[in-house]
Amino acid sequence: MGAVAALSLLETQALSKRFGGLEAVSAVDFHLGRGEVRALIGPNGAGKTTLVGLISGRLTPTSGRVLFAGRDVTSLRAWERVGLGIVYTFQITSIYRSLAVWDNVALAAQRRHLGAVADWLALDRQAVARDVDAALATVGLADLSDQPAGALAYGHQRLVEVAMALALRPELLILDEPTQGLAAGEIEALCRLVRDIAGAATVLIIEHNMAVVLQLAGRVTVMDKGRIIAEGTPREIEAHPEVQRAYLGR
Amino acid sequence: MTRERRGLVLALHLAIIAVLAGLQLVLPPFHHGMVARIMVLAAYAIGYNLLLGYTGLMSLGHAMFFAAGMYGTGLTIHHLGAGVALGFLAGLVAGVVTAAVVGLITLKTVGPAFLIVTMMLAQAFYLATLYFNEVTMGDQGFILAGLHLDLGGHRFALANPAVKYNVGLGLFAICLLGSLWLVSSPVGRIFLALRENEERTRLLGYNTARYRLVAVVVSGLISALAGAAYTLLFSYVGSTFAGILYSIYPLLWTLLGGAGTTLGPLVGTLLMTYVVDVASGITTGYLIVVGAMLVVAVLWAPAGVVGGIRARWARWLP
Repeated sequence: MGAVAALSLLETQALSKRFGGLEAVSAVDFHLGRGEVRALIGPNGAGKTTLVGLISGRLTPTSGRVLFAGRDVTSLRAWERVGLGIVYTFQITSIYRSLAVWDNVALAAQRRHLGAVADWLALDRQAVARDVDAALATVGLADLSDQPAGALAYGHQRLVEVAMALALRPELLILDEPTQGLAAGEIEALCRLVRDIAGAATVLIIEHNMAVVLQLAGRVTVMDKGRIIAEGTPREIEAHPEVQRAYLGR
Repeated sequence: MTRERRGLVLALHLAIIAVLAGLQLVLPPFHHGMVARIMVLAAYAIGYNLLLGYTGLMSLGHAMFFAAGMYGTGLTIHHLGAGVALGFLAGLVAGVVTAAVVGLITLKTVGPAFLIVTMMLAQAFYLATLYFNEVTMGDQGFILAGLHLDLGGHRFALANPAVKYNVGLGLFAICLLGSLWLVSSPVGRIFLALRENEERTRLLGYNTARYRLVAVVVSGLISALAGAAYTLLFSYVGSTFAGILYSIYPLLWTLLGGAGTTLGPLVGTLLMTYVVDVASGITTGYLIVVGAMLVVAVLWAPAGVVGGIRARWARWLP
């Protein structure tokens, strides 16, 4: 147990979520090692978004536990888990459309600097500004920082979302279908970005685009009907008969 | 809000305060008194706007905060013989306590639910001021005579128009600059985030319930400050000010001037108060004019006067 705990960043134990009569996530035991880039795949309705919702705290489980860095976080609320480094980026881009790009990222960056009430009065604005500018430079949006976020092209809005996640300095970054709706060139740029981020954070990525999965992920977890049906390297997963039947449709 | 324009924005706000200060030298007595009243009511609208414009919560019960300040101050002076300063402080405390209670009760409500719950609570507050009429004197109210302020060895009678004007101006300036500071601060940015997308804000690691409560309490505090100031400067306390009309007024002033702009409350209050004044000289049905103005504002100028100016010409306005 000790050796596993040391390597494991995230662990779910018999984690279940029931919506009425539907068990969207069913007794899932999921392990994620520190520093991994893990892809989570599966057909629509497999329970992927529900699972990461339980991990990020957006949803509360019907039963089971979530452990993060060896600590039971099951009872912690979403905003508390962000403080521990669990950061979720939305499947449907969720940014503050009427605020400037800069302010969107500043909302994320200032979070770490706002602890006590005293920080409200005398926030280290320069430190926040440095973090914001760094995050915007990383995703390549520095030139658009004064634009209202809602006025950006869709691909750029996704990058705002990623910049917000970066500014939170994630330990575990959960990307929910980040390439959905992007053009081919944008997908390539996003993949480069994710590889950069993976140097500093553990990444869990829900993705439908198999080319992206093969390119980015060290390991792949496959879900179907609320359960994990396979796990392995991208090559193993491609060859796995059950995966081919359930997901790749061969 | 762009970062480079801080100096310009501050200069504009200080210039407006300076203009209001200068006006007292040229205004004829009637308008002198009118502007003094408008500044106090504009402070009330500033408190309201903080919640509607910046946090995205539409309340129809702010009269209870205004009246909490009014009764907190008025009753302490009338029944306990407190001085002006102590009475004022009591008004602020009453406002904060009322707002904290209302904030906790309404924590989980948004949109129409928040509007209805605040309206009901304010109605309960209003009826309480009537029910306990032995203490509050109900809708007849009571007059506070001979109030004066001791400041640095000098004694200022609050009934004196010049004192009235400058105390009103001072309190308005505090509320205006305070609101400017707040909305440009990191916490103000979180208020905007609550207005725009509460779930997103939670997943940026903010305890959104706590920040909402802070917004309601600060809004209630400023409203109570205005209520307390109104009592002191106009020497009257009555349950009219706890009624639904005084919950609707700040909504109208804010919408007309521009919700979510720091200067909107002043502009809206100024416009509306003068329109009501002119209209009530012509007809006793002046509330029809008030209603018509609201309809016009909602249909043709949803951003309000200052909001419209910001959208067209001055994106940098906070």
